[in-house]
Amino acid sequence: MIGPPPLLEPSTATDAADRSFTETAARMARQRLAIDRSTSLPVLVYFASSIFWLLAGTVFAMISSIKMHAVWFLSSWEWLTFGRVRPVHQNIVAYGWASMAGIGTAIWLMARLSRSELLHAKWLVGSAVLWNLGVLLGTIAVLSGYNHGIEYLEFPAFVPPILASALILVSVWSLVVFHNRREPHVYVSQWYLFAAMIWFPWIYTAVNLLLVIYPIAGVAQGSITWWYGHNILGVWFTPIGLATIYYVLPKILGRPIYSYYLGVIGFWSLALFYNWNGAHHLIGGPLPEWLITVSIVASVMMVIPVGAVGINHHMTMRKHFKALKFSPSLRFIVFGGFAYTAVSLEGVLEAFRDVNLPTHFTHFVIAHAHLGLYGFYTMTMFGAMYYIMPRLTGWEWGSPRLISLHFWFCAIGILLMVVPLSYGGLLQGWSMLNPKIPFIDVVRRTANWMIIRSISGVLLTIGHILFTILFVRNLLHWGERRTSPTLLNPDREEYARTLAGAERLRAAGEAAGEIDGGSAR
Amino acid sequence: MTITYVVFAGSVILFGGSAALALIWAVRAGQFENLGRGASSIFDADEPVGRPTDLTFARKEDRR
Repeated sequence: MIGPPPLLEPSTATDAADRSFTETAARMARQRLAIDRSTSLPVLVYFASSIFWLLAGTVFAMISSIKMHAVWFLSSWEWLTFGRVRPVHQNIVAYGWASMAGIGTAIWLMARLSRSELLHAKWLVGSAVLWNLGVLLGTIAVLSGYNHGIEYLEFPAFVPPILASALILVSVWSLVVFHNRREPHVYVSQWYLFAAMIWFPWIYTAVNLLLVIYPIAGVAQGSITWWYGHNILGVWFTPIGLATIYYVLPKILGRPIYSYYLGVIGFWSLALFYNWNGAHHLIGGPLPEWLITVSIVASVMMVIPVGAVGINHHMTMRKHFKALKFSPSLRFIVFGGFAYTAVSLEGVLEAFRDVNLPTHFTHFVIAHAHLGLYGFYTMTMFGAMYYIMPRLTGWEWGSPRLISLHFWFCAIGILLMVVPLSYGGLLQGWSMLNPKIPFIDVVRRTANWMIIRSISGVLLTIGHILFTILFVRNLLHWGERRTSPTLLNPDREEYARTLAGAERLRAAGEAAGEIDGGSAR
Repeated sequence: MTITYVVFAGSVILFGGSAALALIWAVRAGQFENLGRGASSIFDADEPVGRPTDLTFARKEDRR
């Protein structure tokens, strides 16, 4: 049987009202198809490029990780020394994988949410070509030794103008899509996308002007570096990830977000507080004390947006967790949502001076960064791609088994990286604070944790290869055409029953006053 | 130094200004008046509240 299951099918068109409902539905379906089709070329180009950079970034990640416990590994080529490989890994995953996956998702989301077609899509393909060129040239430059030396800004001065012009194209195009909107309401995801599309291009340009092209002097460099270092997460990756969750999660479940009010509060408090957070990376540094204190206060205030998002996602999922048994995108998205709450609250803790003292400059920070950019952002982007790709290619995912394996390799891989590395980082920090322990002993003690990290890296690498296979098969329509949606558990009737049952339970709870019906607010 | 002042002033105007303008526009346009409707604005007659979209099939020719 093709199409939605009978349980949720609108009643057969017997009277005029029903007929007009079916006509409206058909019109909406056509409109959505046209919108998806208009975005399909640039989004697929961005996604395909991001997968390429994901694999490249993984290779450099593995090389850097292995070097941490086997210093002799590939050390006879200066191109592959740690000082070059590590920034290349970081820049490739940030600008190649994460940004390109995010831009693809953002374009699609903006068109869908505005209910308007993307016009002149070829220009966006051009922006993707520019973006790839920028990342490629930057990578070659850093590998051959031209490293600008500032974290996240290692690419030499000729790269930022290329990336910035691509970014401005994307930004203008998404604002034009919004301008042509048919949907009068600005959904909470769109607010997040505005943050990414309006503020990030400026931040990127401003910071490159001040640090790379006309570098300003002295200690101000540090505060600007971390203003950027935190904002690339705060106004670029985080909003795109949250916009995705706020759209895809309710759409998959077929129920509105628990509390739209919390969603709005969450966005505006993020807009107010996130921008101040950067200086908490410089606790103990030679900066005015008030600047750091203000930053710590703002970091603690982040509890508000993070709590709002966490409660909202959890309450939307409440009584629907069984759906995780079936939906591929939902699994990744929900994992990402949980990791977002965890990593953000951990970040709040790390901003306190007492916690910062043992954790700063240790592997704890590396674990934290991976929980954020991988556990939250990358997993959310995988989920987004599982949802978006079939709607663009008209081809279902090839194999539920591979999707499931992809999920488990990545989920276990990232947990195996984050948990032991956090613990190892804490031990490392405490040992370094103890003047009786010689530094070399601290290094020896951390070696075992480095080996565990390399093992987790192998799991993640396998996950990425599986995803690449799935992606290429979907893109090129390889394999047999599936005649039903690819679900992790093939029993669609059971899925429908589970969700309908959850909905009934929720309605009963609401009637009994157990659950507050958030969507009514 | 000029570039520093331009960038700093630009940041203040672009960040603070754009956020303030957007908030004022949103309040005036009534974006926050009916939050319940806002939450369901992503649904429509074809993908209504109550229908999980993972169950709809992606093949274009099979769509209504």
